[in-house]
Amino acid sequence: MKYVILIYSNPEPWGHPTAIYTKEGRDVPQEQHDEMDREFEALMNELTASGEFVTAEALADPASATLYGWSAEGHLATDGPYAESKEHLAGFFLIDCDSRERAEEIAAKFAQPGGVIELRPAMWPGGDDQ
Amino acid sequence: MTEADLEDVWRRSAPHVLGALGRRYGDFDAAEDAVQEALLAASVQWPKEGTPDNPTAWLITVASRRLIDRHRSERARADREQAAALRVAADEAYSPAADAGDEHAHDDTVLLLLLCCHPALTRASRVALTLRAVGGLTTAQIARAFLVPETTMAQRISRAKTRLREVDAGSSLPAAEQLPDRLASLQDALYLIFNEGYTSSTGATLYDVSLTQEAIRLTRQLPDCLPGSDEVAGLLALMLLTDARRGARANADGSLVPLADQDRARWDRAAIAEGSQLLETVLTRGHLGPYQLQAAIAAVHSEAESWEETDWMQIVVLYRMLDDTAPSPAVTLNLAVAVAMVHGPDAGLRMLDPLLDATSMRRNHRVHAVRAHLLEMSGRHDEATRAYATAAQLTTSMPEQRYLNSKAGGGAGEPVAGAT
Repeated sequence: MKYVILIYSNPEPWGHPTAIYTKEGRDVPQEQHDEMDREFEALMNELTASGEFVTAEALADPASATLYGWSAEGHLATDGPYAESKEHLAGFFLIDCDSRERAEEIAAKFAQPGGVIELRPAMWPGGDDQ
Repeated sequence: MTEADLEDVWRRSAPHVLGALGRRYGDFDAAEDAVQEALLAASVQWPKEGTPDNPTAWLITVASRRLIDRHRSERARADREQAAALRVAADEAYSPAADAGDEHAHDDTVLLLLLCCHPALTRASRVALTLRAVGGLTTAQIARAFLVPETTMAQRISRAKTRLREVDAGSSLPAAEQLPDRLASLQDALYLIFNEGYTSSTGATLYDVSLTQEAIRLTRQLPDCLPGSDEVAGLLALMLLTDARRGARANADGSLVPLADQDRARWDRAAIAEGSQLLETVLTRGHLGPYQLQAAIAAVHSEAESWEETDWMQIVVLYRMLDDTAPSPAVTLNLAVAVAMVHGPDAGLRMLDPLLDATSMRRNHRVHAVRAHLLEMSGRHDEATRAYATAAQLTTSMPEQRYLNSKAGGGAGEPVAGAT
């Protein structure tokens, strides 16, 4: 089963890893950041070794976004962040694992200061006839 | 010889060649490289010089030679004195009895399958390695079938091979006391491959490899002499009886047709006959396992002219037996549908209550889909609509979501999917 782990964060200024650019992240002592880095690296090694890691991308500043609205006359493009979201999508991971429980276990480890993690199952084009 | 012919020969020979080399030299990874080289040699040589009488023996001989050459050159660097000893192994490799013997070829396949389904590997890795090593599929084909990038699949396969080396899985048969567990793990992997293929092949979604056919082909290769072979036959029967419905289970647009609505004239009668025949033979022996029971249930469905005319009493009995042997929420769900068909929807609904409270089922759409169906049967249409909507929210299957949304949007009175 495939799941996306979406990382929402508002780093100021925009930068990766986002955890060190958020207000909450700046309040965390350096030793704790180092510890989190080590844990995250261990998690990445684990997911790569198990074949559960599929892909991941860090996203550029929301200010660099272009939004496309649709109308019957044609599309309308505007520059700038998607104003309706308070937290911006900063990056995502795609994982492929055996169960929802495993996906939850992995996603929980992405929790970071000044960010929110969202775990969502991916849809797939199959299904059974039961 | 065309490329397709070559591919065909390769797919039939791969497990024998790889198994023979693995058994003889114990290095699975190096053996696989050597087999690839042998295949390359075949693709150049056979079109010019003709296909050898025994392509498997030819591939084993050439691959052995490559493997020994490699060992030799590696050794030569370290210790030239040892080269002579390896030459003995090389001579043994050409002995025709070991290369051409059919009983060896059979053993080799089973050995390789057992190795690929080693308990030290994750289920996903077992499946990937089995398709790669025994099925002879390319990494790219396996990756496409499982909708992951090729690099992910390559990583999964290479990690599995490393893991086998770490645990020193070797290349001999597991000890007798381990064999039942290993065979169970093997059957599980084959059924996973089958299901992956069956549930993802709807309508226009075509892959160049049919995982269902591959699973059936591999299961057929398991010999009758293995302990628990009745369950292997049960598994094969289950695959055949399920796959027989393939032509009827999706509309041209890819949307799913539930069992209740399927045009049974489009079921594959030859596959049903073979599956039923297999099942009749093993059921009389009396070692009833979960695969045989599931196959028996599929066989009852395949005998019925329609959903309504199904022998539901017999299905209830079989699901109760399955519930005793291998209880699971999925079995309870199917049993509830069968009970509803015999004793009415309220009896079925009562069986669902414990499942609705179970935390393990809180995200399972099927509980709500079945509940919706039974509510609809009992004429409680508003509740049915809400349950269909809940099920639609929870499913991750696009065709199922389309179907459940259409049920939630009205259209009460249509028959709905139930037990298989």
